[in-house]
Amino acid sequence: MLHYYDPKQALDPRHLSPERDYGTPARLSETLVSLEIDGTEISVPEGTSVLRAAALADINIPKLCASDNLEAFGSCRLCAVQIEGKRGLPASCTTPVEAGMRVTTQNARLAKLRRNVMELYISDHPLDCLTCPANGDCELQDMAGAVGLREVRYGFDGDNHLDAETDDSNPYFSFDPSKCIVCSRCVRACNEVQGTFALTIEGRGFESKVAAGQSEAFMDSECVSCGACVQACPTSTLMEKSVIEQGQPEHSVVTTCAYCGVGCSFKAEMQGDRVVRMVPYKGGDANHGHSCVKGRFAFGYATHPDRLKTPMIRESIDQPWREVGWEEAIAFAAERLKAIQARHGRESIGGITSSRCTNEETYLVQKLVRAAFHNNNTDTCARVCHSPTGFGLKATLGESAGTQTFDSVMKADAIVVIGANPTDAHPVFASQMRKRLRQGAELIVVDPRRIDLLKTPHHRGAQHLALRPGTNVAMINALAHVVISEGLEDREFIAKRCDESGYQAWREFILDPRHAPENVEAITGVPAEQVRRAARTYASAPNGAIYYGLGVTEHSQGSSMVMGIANLAMATGNIGREGVGVNPLRGQNNVQGSCDMGSFPHELPGYQHVADPAVRQRFEAAWGVPIDDEPGLRIPNMFDAAIAGDFKALYVQGEDIAQSDPNTQHVEQALRSLECLIVQDIFLNETAKFAHVLLPGSSFLEKDGTFTNAERRINRVRKVMPPLAGKQDWEVTVDLANALGYPMHYDHPAQIMDEIASLTPSFSGVSYARLDELGSIQWPCNEVHPKGTPTMHIEDFPIGLGQFAITDYVASDELSNRRFPLLLTTGRILSQYNVGAQTRRTDNQAWHDEDVLELHPADAELRGVRDGDWVGITSRAGQTVLRARISERMPPGVVYTTFHHPGSGANVITTDSSDWATNCPEYKVTAVQVEKVSQPSAWQQQFQSFDRLQLGLLRGGKDEAGASRPPAERANE
Amino acid sequence: MSRSQLDTLIHMANQIAINNAHYGDAAERVHVHLKKFWARSMKRQIVDYLRDDGSQLSPLARQAVALLAQDQPDARATSA
Repeated sequence: MLHYYDPKQALDPRHLSPERDYGTPARLSETLVSLEIDGTEISVPEGTSVLRAAALADINIPKLCASDNLEAFGSCRLCAVQIEGKRGLPASCTTPVEAGMRVTTQNARLAKLRRNVMELYISDHPLDCLTCPANGDCELQDMAGAVGLREVRYGFDGDNHLDAETDDSNPYFSFDPSKCIVCSRCVRACNEVQGTFALTIEGRGFESKVAAGQSEAFMDSECVSCGACVQACPTSTLMEKSVIEQGQPEHSVVTTCAYCGVGCSFKAEMQGDRVVRMVPYKGGDANHGHSCVKGRFAFGYATHPDRLKTPMIRESIDQPWREVGWEEAIAFAAERLKAIQARHGRESIGGITSSRCTNEETYLVQKLVRAAFHNNNTDTCARVCHSPTGFGLKATLGESAGTQTFDSVMKADAIVVIGANPTDAHPVFASQMRKRLRQGAELIVVDPRRIDLLKTPHHRGAQHLALRPGTNVAMINALAHVVISEGLEDREFIAKRCDESGYQAWREFILDPRHAPENVEAITGVPAEQVRRAARTYASAPNGAIYYGLGVTEHSQGSSMVMGIANLAMATGNIGREGVGVNPLRGQNNVQGSCDMGSFPHELPGYQHVADPAVRQRFEAAWGVPIDDEPGLRIPNMFDAAIAGDFKALYVQGEDIAQSDPNTQHVEQALRSLECLIVQDIFLNETAKFAHVLLPGSSFLEKDGTFTNAERRINRVRKVMPPLAGKQDWEVTVDLANALGYPMHYDHPAQIMDEIASLTPSFSGVSYARLDELGSIQWPCNEVHPKGTPTMHIEDFPIGLGQFAITDYVASDELSNRRFPLLLTTGRILSQYNVGAQTRRTDNQAWHDEDVLELHPADAELRGVRDGDWVGITSRAGQTVLRARISERMPPGVVYTTFHHPGSGANVITTDSSDWATNCPEYKVTAVQVEKVSQPSAWQQQFQSFDRLQLGLLRGGKDEAGASRPPAERANE
Repeated sequence: MSRSQLDTLIHMANQIAINNAHYGDAAERVHVHLKKFWARSMKRQIVDYLRDDGSQLSPLARQAVALLAQDQPDARATSA
């Protein structure tokens, strides 16, 4: 990723404004070099360009091809300077500073040269500035002004590119080559920033032009639509269509993306309360000015006509919705909740907090459950993704969070990626990782699928351990066995930092020959030699870093695997400094935050157990109510209890459990069993179709608050437009609490954060004022770490000594299932996000408008399946029908799909098998059979009619076709 | 296909047991896990099941649930 850190300048915050472009990237040398520019003396780190040195001294040399997020290129010649004692007029961007250099940036000779350069550019550029979409934001125009260009002596009749055709294939930006000055900034951004290498300069000399892929349309090329090229373009050649349509924004607000766990900072560029474009913010510490197709472009859902704008209620789910005012809806909900508790007991109701909402909102929902519902029946969607991370890391390292910053990867020498697909699910971090890989770091991927990271351009020698799904723990034990049996462990670290008796017990366990790669080969399917090589690579690298995702946690042994990863990191001493660590890549924007905020039924905010009397006492004093000392129900337990008739009401904020949770038919049965389901969401999601109360939610653009990303970084979310339905989500929870008779009063989320800080030791130093001052804070933030904690466990662990855990491999029930010979694993793709509620309502549909089943050619041939055929996928939980895509990304015997479209029913087939410690569902392993079929499954047919019915009930009782019909519906068309 | 609530709890207890079986203090570990993470109603059901039948619990799970039963001699009285 791009570094703007600059040791000397960092001392002076007046410099290094994220709003300025310093021309070339910062250099990190400790050695300072002094020079004189236009008579001004300045010291800069060795290796800094003259252009950047000048910019740091507030001397702005004209430039076109230079930008401080790209390495200097020296093609435009506009930044030429005169240097005493040197011949000619060198380009300042490619000239490093030297001690005692005397530089002149402005004189008659330079002015003439620059004017001549600009004159040549403009002789092949349309002069339609007044009607050009870049008008007001055009570097070419600015430079023409800066150099004082007054005439073009060559005329415009010569050979030119003015008739070049525009490529409008991408839904979000257009490419108009007639305006291109061939500065290569787009090509370099695609290479250096994004790492996709989709763009190139084709031809030579005057014929040179920017081309996507093999001179294809952008949409047909390997372009991933991250938009880095659009941002880099100094003209209107690459331009957001929203700007073309709406004009230039007039103000901007820095906020945080609401998609994945990377948590990119963006400038929401606005006209009034309308977002014109989202531009990744250079000052964002998670993304350093980069973004992906979701964060930059897919924000249109916020103003989609499907948005819910009025509260609604109904007595039963076969009745039409009735639009009511906020007060009536809240009163209706509160009365129902109270009546159910009176009839069925205190524990008969609960709530689900959202990993998409803010920390403040999540905190309030769990507070509502504990203080107003008087029980601990609160859970969050982290249950179904990263709950094993919380459990496993707390048990071994003492804190339920990743150990590093994203930037730490730039110091890693061996990068191990286990069960994660960063280029699709955490694209901005993947770009940073790829940057490090291009610099020469080793890559080891442990995954059944051949993920795109393995195809990183300009990186060779990646190791791929393509294990069978469900055998992670056998694999991590084999890796650890090699480390210990070959004496590759870090004895000093173990002796100093880890519990001795725990280590000895683990050592004895792991040295057992049954963990040797040769003996594990039959389980994992990975040749022993590959495992030995990978273990040696990781253990002997100066810095080894492990990154993992849901391919680790969403298994029956998810927690064991997390602990196995922590074991391996501790055994090799890869904890407690930059470049190493255990790094969970979080799925949703605020999964880390929702866990931190006490969403789990057994923990109050800050992972403080409800059974601890001292902890409870502090919360009871602050909240003014007694808190139950027993854990509450987790989501799957709530479903079971609902079906059993003991659990009757649920308040769900910003979560779509009917689509995202496994074994859909079981979930639907549970939701139908509820007497009162209150859903707060921005759309009528799948869960809302079973609801009695619909409370319209607010998107991230409509509220203030904070999100916490995968590196524990707390980022501010800032309101840029008023909530469509009149209330921010936290205000709705406050109203519900008050209606239930539990008083809550906050004027602003800042006050909620103050309360969080007062009750949560790891947040004690966090406040909105501090966040505004520092930009972002990585918790723990307290008296000891007033500016937060980028790297954890440097001196010791929160539990003192690290605890090795014994992680015996236990085969999943799904693996031994003979009726179903294939293993289904599920995942995500780049353009869609989670259940798709947001991205399906944007032009991201252009990339992925249906979920497909990927299967290996050998498995397809055996079943007579051809590419594009409809196939039925059957598990012990249910059946669904998807279109087949023949692919060699999976090994034979493994099939793969995504769950972005509700009608696909991917979760109809996933089962109730779950992690032993946390009940995190085993999405990644489902035994299935696949066969050719000609019609949608019974579930899909029922889904379609229920979907039609519910959309009809939303629109006043008329039965009508769904706005976004499932692809399966089109099967017979 | 869905299991009944009790079947799920039995399955969960057995799964926790087998994943902790290798520890010397396995029964106590499983017990502590149930204590820390299971809801009151779940504890009550599994303890009741042990008292009524218990045959589907693995030997280790049975020991752990027995320890849980000792903690809460009268689990039924605590739910209100």
